[in-house]
Amino acid sequence: MTPGTRPLSALLAAVLVLGFLLPGSSPAARDVAAELRREKGMLLEMKAREEKTASELTEALRKEKLAKGRVGELQERLRRQRRVLAGIDRRISSLNERLDRTEKAVRELEAAHGKTRDDLRTAVSAAFSRDLPGGGGDSLDPSARERLRYLMRVHLGEKIRRFQQIGRARERKEEELSGIERQVAVSERKMEQEKKVGETLLSRQEEERKRLAGIEREKKRKEKELKSLRARIARMESVVSRVERQVKERERRARETAARRGKGGASAGPGGTAPPAPPEAPRRFASLEGGLAPPLKGKIVSRFGRQHDPTFDVTIENRGVEIEAPSGAPVRSVGRGEVAFAGGVSGFGNVLIVQHGGGLFSVYGKLESFHVKHGEAVNRGTVLGRLPESPSGKSVLYLELRAGGTAIDPASAVPFDR
Amino acid sequence: MSETPSLWRIDWRLARGAIVREAIGRFFSLCFLGFTLLVILLSGAGTRYLAGRYAVTAVLRPDVSSAEAVGLAKKIADLPQVRSARYRDPEETWKEFLRAYPGLEALKEAGETPLPGTIEVRFRPERFNGSDIGVVSTALRSVSRVDQVLAGEEWLPGLLRAGRYASGLCWGVFGVFLLGHFLVIRLQERGRAAALAGDFAFLAERGVPQRRLSFSRAAAAAAAGGILAAAGTASGGGACVLLLRELPFLEGWIGPPAALLAPRTLAGAALFVLAAALLSGAASLLGFRAVRAGGK
Repeated sequence: MTPGTRPLSALLAAVLVLGFLLPGSSPAARDVAAELRREKGMLLEMKAREEKTASELTEALRKEKLAKGRVGELQERLRRQRRVLAGIDRRISSLNERLDRTEKAVRELEAAHGKTRDDLRTAVSAAFSRDLPGGGGDSLDPSARERLRYLMRVHLGEKIRRFQQIGRARERKEEELSGIERQVAVSERKMEQEKKVGETLLSRQEEERKRLAGIEREKKRKEKELKSLRARIARMESVVSRVERQVKERERRARETAARRGKGGASAGPGGTAPPAPPEAPRRFASLEGGLAPPLKGKIVSRFGRQHDPTFDVTIENRGVEIEAPSGAPVRSVGRGEVAFAGGVSGFGNVLIVQHGGGLFSVYGKLESFHVKHGEAVNRGTVLGRLPESPSGKSVLYLELRAGGTAIDPASAVPFDR
Repeated sequence: MSETPSLWRIDWRLARGAIVREAIGRFFSLCFLGFTLLVILLSGAGTRYLAGRYAVTAVLRPDVSSAEAVGLAKKIADLPQVRSARYRDPEETWKEFLRAYPGLEALKEAGETPLPGTIEVRFRPERFNGSDIGVVSTALRSVSRVDQVLAGEEWLPGLLRAGRYASGLCWGVFGVFLLGHFLVIRLQERGRAAALAGDFAFLAERGVPQRRLSFSRAAAAAAAGGILAAAGTASGGGACVLLLRELPFLEGWIGPPAALLAPRTLAGAALFVLAAALLSGAASLLGFRAVRAGGK
């Protein structure tokens, strides 16, 4: 059931009253009828606006959902982005530590290289001096000199080997240093790129947030507008009800006037008219002749009374029920009566109203076609029309029962199949 | 026979004063010769010094332990050519190296491979020759723990040649001294024979054969020369001992005093005494004949 149900009910009531009043109406009655037509037009217009607003609100909600989804997705991407950035940052920190250690090692190796080079120079200078500085032990000991020369060769060889070893180690460390510096540069470039991506994501998120805020503002505006429209419709219903009461009151007065004229005629002569019939007392659907029959076989999918609408998250007042049935199924009259209205009503498609007398009406909405026409008498079970065709094979019938201007629960009056 | 004069002691009876003087002179001369001979014998005419200067160095591989090196040094020392074999561990080698190159103390770094251990092989002076050195060097090179053998192949022949020259020089000088000694005592014998020529003529007139007289005098001179040579050599040996005690550094050149009692030295001394006796006898005989042949 849509929020347009209440205005529809009021509209139907107004149409019924018009149906009663239009034949044999007085000028005052014609004024009321004109007022009712005007009010009906206004109601139809307001309902159309309400439906449009509701549709826009639905669209706004859909956009809001999409925008929230996009914001959530962007937030998730941003979280991933931050994790990636943190990972790169950790890697850069680790590389920087390695860089420091390697630089220190290179400095140490350079110092060792320099010291070894100096040692080597000193040793070479000592080795190639003309005389052994310490006298070489006994200068007349050629064996000692030979041994010392050999030891010097060994020492120099060791120094040269050490010098070359340190040089190679330094070259390796310098290569490692270059590699680490390249890695740091690559990581920093990657970090810059990721930061740019992150900034882009932030920018997009900000845009989406702004868009979401705009959508939310639009939604609130639409909700406010919808609320205002509903209030105006309610007021309009009140106006229509008042007019309905006025119509009834005039009808009662007309019957009383007719009765007095009847009495006057009777006293004036024997050929006077019969006394006026007492006003028809409101009846209950249960007291209808032949009882009530379900309009079709189906399942009630929307119940009577206050129901929660999950789309707008509001509580609405259903004046009737919706019955789901196979597409194209015939819709029958719930009881004996006369067709008071057959026409299109925005939001309800083709609507047919049957007057059962005594202030009892049954309203059938969302029909595909009519099989009866206005003013035609119908019996219980008479086919009034058919449900429309649908790709899903299921269609819905709107059924509303009104007694004395008040909507009652059809499920409590009509024996639906449970 | 009692009337026959003793020809052995005829010079002593006829010219006692001259004999004493000559004996004193010859003693000192023989002391000098004996001392020189002993020094040459002990020093091997310079060979001991050269042998002390020479050593074969076996450079060990770095993975040879000290125990292995000590065992190897002991085995080398047991070789008959070897006087000593001393093991120097790497630290000792490094210290020796630093003593030779005192400016390199700071060059040793922590963890640096030290210099290798070495075994210094020195030869006995009497085995200090090319063949023995070659045998030992070859034996050392065949040992797997030895990385290098430093035997001075480049300069060893020169060293050995210098040794030979020194030996020849020493023995030559000794020979000159001995010859001088012989010439001096020959002059003494001739002079004394000339001085006693009248007495010898008197004896010849009384039937004493000149030949017997000359041989008796020569025998007596040889005996006296041998005794004096023995005494002089002993004195020279004593002087040598005193010298080595007072100047120990000379042991490196001459040798230890204990080597004086070595059989080789004693045999050399005995030969010298014998030679001195023969030379004295020969000088007496030659001096007597010169007097008889030349008159004066």
